Amino acid sequence: MAYTKELSRKLYRDLLMLRLFEKRLIDLYAAGKIPGHIHSGIGEEAAFAGTLATKKEGDYFKMSHRDIGASSLLGVSLETMFAEILGKTAGNSGGRGGINHISELSRGMLGFSGTLGCDIAVAAGAGLTIQNRGGDNIVYVYFGDGTTSRGPVHEAINLAAAWKLPVLFVCENNQFAISTPVSEGVPVKNTAADRAPAYGIPGRVADGTDAFAVYEAAEELTREIRQGGGPAILECKAYRWRGHFEGDQARYRDQAEADRWIKKDCVQKMETWLLEKKMITETEIEEMRAEFEAKLDAAVIFAENSPEPAPETIYDYLYA
Amino acid sequence: MLVTYGQAIGDAMKEEMRRDEAVVLFGEDVAEFGNIFGLTRGMVEEFGKQRVRNTPISETAIVGSAIGAAVTGLRPCAELMYSDFTMVAFSELFHCCGKWRYMHGPEYKLPLVIRSAMGSSFGAGAEHSNCVESLFMHAPGLIIASPSTAYDAKGLLKEAIRSDNPVLFFEHKQLYQVKEEIPDEEYTIPFGVADVKRRGTDVTIIAVGLMVRRALEAAEKLKEEGIDAEVIDPRTLAPFDKDTVFESIRKTHRVLVAEESNKTAGIGAELAALIQEEQYDELDGPVVRVAALDVPIPYNIALERFAIPDAEDIASAVRAMFA
Repeated sequence: MAYTKELSRKLYRDLLMLRLFEKRLIDLYAAGKIPGHIHSGIGEEAAFAGTLATKKEGDYFKMSHRDIGASSLLGVSLETMFAEILGKTAGNSGGRGGINHISELSRGMLGFSGTLGCDIAVAAGAGLTIQNRGGDNIVYVYFGDGTTSRGPVHEAINLAAAWKLPVLFVCENNQFAISTPVSEGVPVKNTAADRAPAYGIPGRVADGTDAFAVYEAAEELTREIRQGGGPAILECKAYRWRGHFEGDQARYRDQAEADRWIKKDCVQKMETWLLEKKMITETEIEEMRAEFEAKLDAAVIFAENSPEPAPETIYDYLYA
Repeated sequence: MLVTYGQAIGDAMKEEMRRDEAVVLFGEDVAEFGNIFGLTRGMVEEFGKQRVRNTPISETAIVGSAIGAAVTGLRPCAELMYSDFTMVAFSELFHCCGKWRYMHGPEYKLPLVIRSAMGSSFGAGAEHSNCVESLFMHAPGLIIASPSTAYDAKGLLKEAIRSDNPVLFFEHKQLYQVKEEIPDEEYTIPFGVADVKRRGTDVTIIAVGLMVRRALEAAEKLKEEGIDAEVIDPRTLAPFDKDTVFESIRKTHRVLVAEESNKTAGIGAELAALIQEEQYDELDGPVVRVAALDVPIPYNIALERFAIPDAEDIASAVRAMFA
């Protein structure tokens, strides 16, 4: 595939945004500013940047607990995101949901369930709405290798396949379910893509450290889905650079293997490629970084200054 | 018009689907088969296969996809066949349906209904006979309706389909064939409004589902013995109409809760706690609970009957309150 300068720079921009967002989250968490737990997706940006580059207006999205920055690619403001992360009133649910529930319906975001797997069918349901309504919109749903072992995931994919719902199931295989290597929990090599034939649907594996590879696979699969071909599975192979959650030292695994994977840095790869092809300059890269860092700074300050929710509002949003 | 409880439910669905094309129906065997009890007969023929769909046996996907469809503009009226199967999708109901809006923000609405058939039915056994409202009363964010009459069923189901909140709608299998005269004109029944099914002065019997009829039968017997019972049907366990119940308690000063679910941590457990907390001074004695025994419902019919309260159990419990 020949990659245009426009597409390549867009992918790099999105990758860089996701990377800088992840780094900022890690730093904020280390400084004790974020309650609860965060699950870093640093190093896994390509799966999100690559797939989301194929989206269209009117599509729906069920995001993941990693690479939360992807919500900004869907149009959610950094201010809203950091406010929700810090549990403040300016968050999308006024601090009631937290980092994993950053979601805006107006951006096509469906929401997320921390009981991993229960929300895969939610994506199928949005597919049902699209099917009833007509048109070529689709649903993107993201989940990890660990989640693929859950029964509700089988039910959701089975239902989507039986009803030919327009859903792209994206499995981010970062090779760990907390401390359990995927090879221990999953009897096949490609936990999501290998199971696609069982549903009679297309399944592909893409190099999750290469945004172009992800983009190509997603572009091919989504084209078919948009034309009424039914759902498909895309498995992105990557590696979880850090622990399952911040604070998890990940002593259960081989750091040498982790280091080998960390060298396959999707952001670095794209940057090097763009520079070689003279599609970007060092100056532009610096400017982009500065721009994103400034936006992140402003958003964090906004969130820190945003009020805490008042106890009297604790029942708000329970019922429509 | 004279209809059965089952017909009233079917009519409610048909009327709402004619009224609003966003309303869709899906569940196991609801299309050509017309639902396992015949309630949706004729619907796939009238509304088509896009709006009336058979699902695979996939309770978690039925509930999960109802959420996704509801959030994006459809109004799903999904079915789980037997109330016992809500357990199969408990996380999707308790965590997801109940909490979705709270966790994600006020843009999110879940205009969905999950219908199921509950209760004993002569040998259906431990996993096809349950009444499970009490398990969901514990979940913030859900609406729970358990109608005991055709009138209530129709009004509450229409209200449920029009509601922007997730509703668990529990129908009793033994009531499906019971005939009743109901209005021809359209009506809905608001949530959180109990119905005094029988006015009385001596004791308040709060009864749910099939136990409403058993309580009314008990009240007839008790009348002859000089005890005048007031029977209140909450109709919705969540929201629960405290005002109507407390007004009754201030009159009778004696309360009994009759449920078909088993006793421990059942509906009566919550209501007894609530009532003694807020109406202690009005009570002449403890809140009495009549409920099924704490056993899985046995297959043997005589044992099933023994496990589940009947009118005489309720009457006898009331008599003991006056002994």
